[in-house]
Parts: sequence; C-alpha cells; structure tokens
Amino acid sequence: MKLHLTMDGAPGQIEILSPGPACCFRLNGEQREAAVETPEPGVYSVLLNGRVYDARIEELADGARGVAVVIDGFRFVVEVRDPRRMAAAAAQTGRQGAATVAAPMPGKVVRVLVALGDQVEAGQGIAVVEAMKMQNEMKAAHAGRVASLRVKEGDTVSAGQTLATIE
Amino acid sequence: MSAPLFSKVLVANRGEIAVRVMRTLREMGIATVAVYSDADRNSLHVRMADEAERIGPPPSADSYLRMDRILDAARKHGAAAIHPGYGFLSENAEFAAACEDAGVVFIGPSSQSIRAMGSKTAARQVAIAAGTPVVPGTEGPVDAAQARAFGRQAGYPILLKAVAGGGGKGMRRVDREADLESALRDASSEALRAFRNGDMYAEKLIERPRHIEIQVLGDRHGHLIHLGERECSIQRRHQKVIEECPSPLVDLHTEMRHAMGEAAVRAAAAAGYYNAGTVEFLADAQRNFYFLEMNTRLQVEHPVTELVTGLDLVRLQVEIAAGRPLRLKQEDVRWRGWAMECRIYAEDPYNNFLPYPGKITRLTRPLGPGVRIDGAIYPGWTVPVDYDPLLAKLAVWAGHRDDAADRMIRALREYDVGGIRTNIGFFRQILEDAEFRAARLHTGFIEEFFERRTPPQTSPDMAVAAALAAALHARSRFRAPETTRADSTSNWLRAGRSGLLR
Repeated sequence: MKLHLTMDGAPGQIEILSPGPACCFRLNGEQREAAVETPEPGVYSVLLNGRVYDARIEELADGARGVAVVIDGFRFVVEVRDPRRMAAAAAQTGRQGAATVAAPMPGKVVRVLVALGDQVEAGQGIAVVEAMKMQNEMKAAHAGRVASLRVKEGDTVSAGQTLATIE
Repeated sequence: MSAPLFSKVLVANRGEIAVRVMRTLREMGIATVAVYSDADRNSLHVRMADEAERIGPPPSADSYLRMDRILDAARKHGAAAIHPGYGFLSENAEFAAACEDAGVVFIGPSSQSIRAMGSKTAARQVAIAAGTPVVPGTEGPVDAAQARAFGRQAGYPILLKAVAGGGGKGMRRVDREADLESALRDASSEALRAFRNGDMYAEKLIERPRHIEIQVLGDRHGHLIHLGERECSIQRRHQKVIEECPSPLVDLHTEMRHAMGEAAVRAAAAAGYYNAGTVEFLADAQRNFYFLEMNTRLQVEHPVTELVTGLDLVRLQVEIAAGRPLRLKQEDVRWRGWAMECRIYAEDPYNNFLPYPGKITRLTRPLGPGVRIDGAIYPGWTVPVDYDPLLAKLAVWAGHRDDAADRMIRALREYDVGGIRTNIGFFRQILEDAEFRAARLHTGFIEEFFERRTPPQTSPDMAVAAALAAALHARSRFRAPETTRADSTSNWLRAGRSGLLR
C-alpha cells in the first residue's frame, strides 16, 4: 500500500512492500530494507543499516493531524494519509471561514470571556484555561462573530479541544 | 530491630515527596497514613500507604491546605506525627502550631522559627542580626539624595526596587550616578501606577549571580550543623531545573563551604531553628555571598545532598522530631563524588513549556549504575490537572562532575514517558553545552542558552526510521491502496531538523 507522508510540512511517499519483522519498503521511490519489531505498543525498534533506532510514537493533541515520532530525543512530526481516504476526510471538514479557538493543553476552563454571537477583535480573549497552577488565555486569531461556544466555566478540556468558533 | 520512634506518621502531602517520605518511614518500621483529595485516590502515595484518609475535593484549598481535616485524619488514624513534605502546609506557622496544640509532632521546625524566617524582610533582619551577609541595600524608602549616597557607598551597578513591588515592575538597573535621578523618577512613577505606591529602595546589583544554598540540620537540644551546599543556578522562570552537589564554584574554593556553612548555621541559630532547613544565598563572581532567604522545610532537591553525604535527610528529620540528639557532628560530614538532579515536569517543551497533564500510556525508567528516581507515576495513571506538574526527580551520582553529566545524559536517553509531554528531551542540550561543562553558571543561564544554542543534527537514516515507524503505525490503523507521487528525502531531513529539540 502506498501512503502519502508529510514530515514537518515536507511531502513524500512511502510504500510498505512487506511489514516487519523483515520489512521492505519504498521511500520516495527508493527501495530499502529494515528489521522492525514492536516490543511495546507504540514503540518500533528499527534496525536500519546496522543501526538501532528505538522509535516511540506520541499521539498529538486531539484535532491535530499525524503523530510525533521520537527517536533518542529527536522529534519528527509525521502525518500519514491514505490517498483513498482523503476524499472522505475532505468531505467531513467543516464549513469554510470558521476559525476555531482550541485549548493548547488539557485543563479546566476557569473563565469564559465572551458570549455566543459576540463580535470579537483579533487577539481578544475568548476563554481562560488553567492546568497545574498556570492560566492561559485563549485568544481569537481573527476578528469575527462567536458562532459557537462549546465550553462553560468549570468544564474539563483536553488538548486540542475546540472551545469556540469564530466566523 | 528496636522499637520505632513513632508507631505511625501521617504524610500531609502528595506526589513524589509523599512517596519519598513514606519510603523512609517504612524503612524505619513506622506505619504510614496518606491523605488524599478526590483527584488522588489512584495516586501512588495512596496506593503505597498503610492507611489513607480522604480530605476533600481536588482544589488544594479544599484538601491539602485544610489543616482541620488533616489533623482530624491524624487523630482518627492515631498518627503520632505529621510530615508536611514541601509546599502546601510545610511552611505554615499556624499549622505547625496547630499540630503542637493537638499533641501531634510536626516533623519540622517550631512555629516560632517558621514565623521568624517566614517573610523575606523578617528573615533579612534575622540574618543581619546574626552577622550573616545580606545583599547591601537601604533598609527603607529613599529619595534621590539618599539613593546617591547609597550608590557611592555600595558601588555601581545598583538596582532600584519598588517597596510594594513584584514581577519586575518598578525595577531599574542603574550603572552610573548620572543616570540615577531619572531612573528613580521613572521607576517610582511606574511603581505608583502599578502598586499605588511610589516608594523605592536601593540594592546592590549582583551581576550574573549563582544560586547556592546550604543544607542545615539541627536537633532540639541546640546542636546545629550544615551538610554543605547545592548549586541551583539553572532555573527557568525562577523555577529550579537542574541542581547539583557540590557547587562547582565551592568545589574549587572549599573555604567557601565553611564560610557559607557557618553563616547559614548562625542565621538558623538566631531563629532558634531545629530540624532540616535550607539557607539560600546569591554568590557573585568574586565569591562574595549574600543571604537570600531560608526555606524551613525539606527541599525538593535534597536527594543530591543525600547522594554525596550518604545521609537520609528524612530519617534524620524523624529522629530529630522524636527528640533524639543529633549523633552526627560537623566534622563527621563528608562529601564524596558528584550528584546532579533533573526535575521531570509534565510540560510541553515544544509549546512554551505549558503544563501537559494526562494519562501515562507508557513508562520506561532508567536503570543501572548511579541512578536514583524519586517519582510518583506509573503507566495507566492520569496526571491530575489540579497540582504542580513535577512528575519525578532524576538524580545521578558519579565520582566527578563530567562523569555525572555523562551519566545523566545516558539516563535521560533511557527515560520514556508516553501519553503526555515532558521536558526529558530538553535537558540533554544543556548537559552537553560547553558553558555548562565549564561550570560558568548563573541564574540567567537558560535564557542565554536559548539564544546561543544551535539545534543538533540528525542523521538521514534516523529520519527514514521515523518515517517508517509512522507509516507502520498508521498502517496498523487503516489499510487501502494506490496512487503515486514522488519526492526526495532531503526536504524531510530539513524539516525534521528544524522541528527537533533533543
């Protein structure tokens, strides 16, 4: 199966010809081999050209695309897309022109600073999320109208969760 | 085994420090009582305790800061003493007094000592009275003439500070007398706007100071000693990040250890201090040192002192609280080798170090020679959003400083916490930094480090391995065929490099 990849924004393509343990794959047209084991869920031990890479998968925040792959402290953000599914995914994305305000970290909503239908300026605070004694004000990226308000004070939110949308 | 000093001790804390205290209590044959909020029923300190009592909902103000509920729990469970850990109620004189009144031993200093060292200004007066050097400054508000007189006497640069100040507002550095008057005017009006109080005082500016602190220990019979220093100059937003013992500066000039140790003991004695405490100093390049404040409790970074002195500070605290005279004399204290500690936080180094609580899905901890971890996490546990993001302290010991730093890097490379973000990857660059290795440390080190650092390079094959791992991971989730498009790996490498932190 051929998959489209984006690594920190740069596109590419990978085809897995045979999965592990004796893995054969074609990366951007070049065929390569590696011995791959999965000793723990989310951990890939990749033996490539005689070197061992202990690759650990980190899920990104809800709503973010792809995963982070951490190898010996180096971190690669990789998005993998199955081209056949892209059409379906595109159909699911929301209306154009709406910007979401999302929580950057898991935490608790301590204050909601706007009401549904409010006109807001770019940079205006929408809600304050607190985690571990630190408060963070989530701001509108653009001017617009608060089209939806998905949280109230006291709500617990996860990273990437939409707090509000601005149209 | 002789009878334990206390039959049962309540630990009025949570997280790694509660676990650390319970470990020693267990070694001493003392039964342990945990207290917990609703957010902590599954936390390790509750799981490992012999007994436990719920003390309220998650907010600290409704649980870990509730003296009444903690004392009720102590009574109900028949605990003879309370260990407060650090933070929460540990430096609360009222709580220490309430324990004394309730006939429960507070494992720490007396309420009077906590009060005497409680505020920075009160502690400064105690230190001055004890003959401990403090940062030279005017004792009260100054006008332009008084500030000028102070500048001439102390020498420039000086720092003008708002009496009511905080957060850097109403603060000005003055490098020469010619600038003094306008700086005072500006700072004063800024202070007036911010605090409705324009009063200013002046202090000598300590350039590129080191933060060096002295561990003191005293029994209830007037015997007070010090256990040497720790260097805690590596700080971010005034939060210590890496600590070491000994201090590289003091290690080169061991007479400093005795001078600082004696000064710390004098200050502590002036406050009638017993149990474990820490006297914090600023030190300048000329090796002058100045009293900053005293922490009247066990310090977060106490393990580095334990590793180098071979002592168990919690055990000593318990013995002192039980009224035992200190068997240890000053000349018995020996410092051997080098210890370093990294504070592992649940925070996202890729997003401005914002806290990042959540469920721990994977956990591999470093093992092997010279490694100690004080932590309270386990796979499957959800880090609560309600408390401090400190997950664990990774400490290493080795014979020499360079070896300790190398060992720390090795241990960090073994450490894997999945499901949440941590700062584990952030330490390595500092530990490899030439300035750090040369021990040119000061409290602004990390800010300067961020400006000069160059991200390390990855190998092409590493990027290939990352791409392969991501593809295999995605493949395990979906399957489907076909379409084509080509590109080179070089773009990815560039992208990978820009995004890495290591």
